[in-house]
Amino acid sequence: MTVSGKGVGASLRRKEDRRFLQGRGRYVGDIRPAGVLEVAFLRSPVAHARLRGVQKPAQGLVFTAADLLEIGPIRANSALPGFRASDQPALARDKLRHVGEPIAACLAESRAAAEDLAAACLPDYEELPAVSDMLAALAPDAPLIHEHWSENAFLETKREDEVADLDAIAAAKVRRRLRTARQSMAPIEGRGVIAEWDPRLEQLIVTSSTQMPHVTKSGIAECLGLDEGQVRVISPDVGGGFGYKGILLAEELVCAALAIRLGRPVRWLEDRLEQLTANANCREHFYDVTAWADAEGRLLACEVEAVVDAGAYSAYPFSACLEAAQIGSIFPGPYTLPRFRFRTVSACTNKPPILPYRGVARTGVCFAMETTLDALARQLGIDAAAIRAINLVPPEAMPYRNLVGKVFDSGDYPEALRRAVAAIDVAALRARQAAGETVGLGLAVFCEQGAHGTSVYHGWGIPFVPGFEQAQARFTPDGVLELRVGLHSHGQGLETTLAQVAHEVLGVDPARVRLVHGDTALTPYSTGTWGSRAMVMAGGAVAEACRQLGERALTIGAALLQAPREACVLRDGAIVQGEAKVTLDEVARTWYRRPQNLPREVDKGGLEVTAGYRPDPDTGTHSYAAHAVVARVDRETGAVVLEQYVIVEDGGTLVNPMIVDGQVLGGTAQGIGTALYEEMPFDAQGQPLAGTLADYLLPGASEVPDITIEHMVTPSPWTRFGQKGIGESGAIGPPAAIVNAINDALARFGAEVTDLPATPARVLAALAKVGAA
Amino acid sequence: MKLHLTVNGAATALEAEPRTHLADLLRDQLLLTGTHIGCEHGVCGACTVELDGAPARSCLMHAGSCDGATVRTIEGLVDDPVMALLCEAFSAEHALQCGYCTPGMLMTARDIVLRLPEADEDRVREELAGNLCRCTGYRGIVRALLAVLASRRRPGSGDPDSPLSGCLA
Ligand code: FES
Ligand code: FES
Repeated sequence: MTVSGKGVGASLRRKEDRRFLQGRGRYVGDIRPAGVLEVAFLRSPVAHARLRGVQKPAQGLVFTAADLLEIGPIRANSALPGFRASDQPALARDKLRHVGEPIAACLAESRAAAEDLAAACLPDYEELPAVSDMLAALAPDAPLIHEHWSENAFLETKREDEVADLDAIAAAKVRRRLRTARQSMAPIEGRGVIAEWDPRLEQLIVTSSTQMPHVTKSGIAECLGLDEGQVRVISPDVGGGFGYKGILLAEELVCAALAIRLGRPVRWLEDRLEQLTANANCREHFYDVTAWADAEGRLLACEVEAVVDAGAYSAYPFSACLEAAQIGSIFPGPYTLPRFRFRTVSACTNKPPILPYRGVARTGVCFAMETTLDALARQLGIDAAAIRAINLVPPEAMPYRNLVGKVFDSGDYPEALRRAVAAIDVAALRARQAAGETVGLGLAVFCEQGAHGTSVYHGWGIPFVPGFEQAQARFTPDGVLELRVGLHSHGQGLETTLAQVAHEVLGVDPARVRLVHGDTALTPYSTGTWGSRAMVMAGGAVAEACRQLGERALTIGAALLQAPREACVLRDGAIVQGEAKVTLDEVARTWYRRPQNLPREVDKGGLEVTAGYRPDPDTGTHSYAAHAVVARVDRETGAVVLEQYVIVEDGGTLVNPMIVDGQVLGGTAQGIGTALYEEMPFDAQGQPLAGTLADYLLPGASEVPDITIEHMVTPSPWTRFGQKGIGESGAIGPPAAIVNAINDALARFGAEVTDLPATPARVLAALAKVGAA
Repeated sequence: MKLHLTVNGAATALEAEPRTHLADLLRDQLLLTGTHIGCEHGVCGACTVELDGAPARSCLMHAGSCDGATVRTIEGLVDDPVMALLCEAFSAEHALQCGYCTPGMLMTARDIVLRLPEADEDRVREELAGNLCRCTGYRGIVRALLAVLASRRRPGSGDPDSPLSGCLA
């Protein structure tokens, strides 16, 4: 870290806090252009139907698909062979494929009036049998959601290592069927869009609550047949993303087309009912796992049948198959698995499209792998920590390439496990168990591939493969450093951490660094903030841009010092030779205002640099963690209380440890939601059953324990400062660790929970199944 | 309908449909957008304001029922000494990320500090049950509140006019 204590490694307070604390954040719903028309959508009341038409009210602005033929369908095709493409119309055309699918846009001066208009529309449809369960969707006689397909599956992938010989040689074999629930990411701010047409620039300006303004811009241009230069997307303050705002929205396309058509600004703000029911859309996996181990618990092989409920359409840009592709490539986790056989299916159902939620498939995979390991340990009569220790990739093997070609960059996985277990008083816990208490210890170890780049996403077939990340750095005439990045900060604190990176390189005080982000007109192209990539990618790009800017400043500063360039250095925000120095402010003033003093050899590009960055190799950083949980189960009610929650985490070099802790804690709270509370059930007709936050339970302050985090720091050898992507980590481990703790508590009854969330009803059902309720 | 409100100390005459809720009134008509909307169902707490001296969910109050009320929003508390302490503590404890829940959280937090000066961690967590945050995992929020409660319990800290440690100045 720099001597100032404000550079890489400092727990600097956030620059962005002030406006939020004063209620001066500016979110899309806070912006109301003059003359705006508010949109309410008429949405499908049924999961599957043939749409014959819409009877519109006699008065009012109502637009259906037939009125907006300029909008092309959303197509997010995977490049993986065998992928079945789904065209998603912005407004339903002849079929309705999930509850909440937009049918018509209704516009009025107020949202309330627009909703009245929507209520006065009469959709005319013929209901079809719905497919609401992913396993039923794959049955040969299931009704087809896309009728030109031969089955309700976007894609099937396989790997066929031999496992037939293992029954004869393995000391233990377990098989488990496991399920994770369909969830809703539920940021506290929903989505929202304002579209305006600027006749002077002939440009569409879309203000949207998005994590990826540039990808949204490309998608809008693609679907509306506009040049990309005719679309500007602004992402203002965004009230949480978690993947929910990493999508091209049908609503964005409709608002954009309407703004062009009507010549008036048009705004749609998602309400909570829309958020929950029209977009309940992540995490739902089914696993059928078989694992073999030798007598010491060493894994011999895993065989996995996995189905992901991908919903009715392939969402843009991540497609319907990202989760299944991840299952195939990350199931081995942090372990040295010698053989792996799998089949994954991305099933198509009458539900909203699936989106990658923080952790993406890792959360389900970790749950499946870690509960299976515990089942093996129980069968072999060995300790849960021991079976992990014997299978974890050892530190001396780093960098380690596993059997599916994942390359782990650095770290000491067994040490993380040791420290997590050491933080728990295991002897006391076992004594309580012996005394008859229903308490248990649960462990989970996992790694999080983050900031993975071109080679990985190309292999996963997503239509928007990330490449080099770029950043601009420039001095304004007063010496303020302006950074411009194409990704977006919506809680991650990038306005602070990227200023710390710039400070590390240039010595400019973070208070004098401004971050410009969230506007495609002002920033270099970027695929956005997702995949735990921002700090590695934008951090690397900002550092490189600042380094080059420093070189240019050095030339000017040396000339002002009348010293040879080689004799000068950039230190603490100044060009220094011995005792003499010229501040970067002075350098900036010279470039902009006193060019007569510039040296001949000055770089004509001035004090403005765009630089690109991609780690090499770009297979991603692997942060990793061990979670250890003590949970108490109430045998009467099935309720679970988390008594202790310990995380040992290695994110490499931490740019701002306070912010990293915040990411880990927030992710863990979401993981606790996945483990114990959150579930968006659908009935057999495909109706979503949780329409308010009183039905869809988000963890509150009393449901999240005071979590302990211990850091290990193993820098990544492949990134600019050794930092690793860690933004999703917290959300990965909790379901595995918590369910393992519950199952440890229930072990003396022989009961096991296998489905998420582990609600009181599921815990009681598990006990009832073995006659112990 | 016509209605009269006192908002952040100023008497205000408004015209609204009776079904409009107070959060929309504050945001759309008075441009007080610090009051956020997260559920419009009384669950998330993002819309919490002070209504006649007590915290209330502005999404559940309709224009028709709040005529004559006195309302304070986050914007009206910039100079409030307790709020200043809370802001300082929220920043120090990293009690906010996206900032969307923050104004509502601060309104509730201020009420806890004033009403329950002896509250311990369990009580603070319980009292926060009506305010959801999807980003922070609550640890920073709870710690910030406990820090403010503790600082106000220290002798000599009771004077509301005492100079503050520069709220994010
Ligand atoms: S918006 Fe009022 S409680 Fe959620
Ligand atoms: S800080 Fe984002 S919801 Fe609380």
